[in-house]
Amino acid sequence: MNEHDMQDERLQALARRLGAGAAQRLDIERTAAAVVRRLREQAPATPAWWLRPVWLRVAAAVVLMLGASVVYRGTARRAPAVPAVAWPPDEGLRDLTSDQLRVLLQSLDQPILPVLEEEGLVSSQETGLEDLSSTQLRELLNSLEG
Amino acid sequence: MAQTQPVAAPLTDAALIAAWQGGDEQAAAELVRRHARALARFLAGAGAPEANLDDLVQETFIRAFRAVGKFRGQCLFRTWLLTIGGNVLKDAGRRWARHKVVPLDEALRTPDGDPYEQAVAGEVEGRLTAGLAKLPRMQREVFLLRAQQGLEYEDIAAALGTSAGAARVHYHHAVRRLKEYLQ
Repeated sequence: MNEHDMQDERLQALARRLGAGAAQRLDIERTAAAVVRRLREQAPATPAWWLRPVWLRVAAAVVLMLGASVVYRGTARRAPAVPAVAWPPDEGLRDLTSDQLRVLLQSLDQPILPVLEEEGLVSSQETGLEDLSSTQLRELLNSLEG
Repeated sequence: MAQTQPVAAPLTDAALIAAWQGGDEQAAAELVRRHARALARFLAGAGAPEANLDDLVQETFIRAFRAVGKFRGQCLFRTWLLTIGGNVLKDAGRRWARHKVVPLDEALRTPDGDPYEQAVAGEVEGRLTAGLAKLPRMQREVFLLRAQQGLEYEDIAAALGTSAGAARVHYHHAVRRLKEYLQ
């Protein structure tokens, strides 16, 4: 056999013969019987009801919900409290400068202009805290204090 | 006029699998009869010693029947079975390596037939087997599935979880390296 001239077809023909003898010597009926016997012997036992997939899925869902609940509660407890605005006593407002009053008002977490309009302190043409006088700012703070 | 009985068509693999899943042991036995020789050839070609061939074939079928619920018909049942055989052989190889099991020497076997022809065929076959053993597993399995079992690239690719193009490339690499080895 000139192996230098070996072509794909010859290689394939050789591959087709590969293992043919060993396979031919296999006792198929004996193998089939052995497989069936082993399958019968190793039949998986029916799992307990609580090990069946549907119950395992339900248990996993319950665990997830409980875990999420615990995490949510922990997060809510640790959430930083909204920093309280140091509300000066009424007489303290008089001592504050206009700039200090503006800073105080800006620290309040609520829309200011609607309040100003509602209180009749400013007209809608006035645009922001910068346009208010010290007196207006004090009145505004007093009105917010309620 | 004599009436002819209709000849029952042989059950397909899919029908036998469904019957086995319904508890029909004879369906499992029929699947073994149908595919055991091809599986044995594949395993022998992939380097399984003949002394262990029966055990490996049995183990492959046991694994396949246990996992048959995962078989979705993405390829032929035989192709799927042969890839399981590849895994069984790999696991057995690890066990043999751990326990230092030396497979029975090919020369000690006494196959039937003309001794001279057997010797010549055995020599070439032995060299091809040795060449296959040197290939990466993917190339070896693709080569055997294609050249020995005559399967289509699409089917091989589906069974091995790769693309048909990649399977083709593996095959051509395997052929080139085997030719080099045999020259």
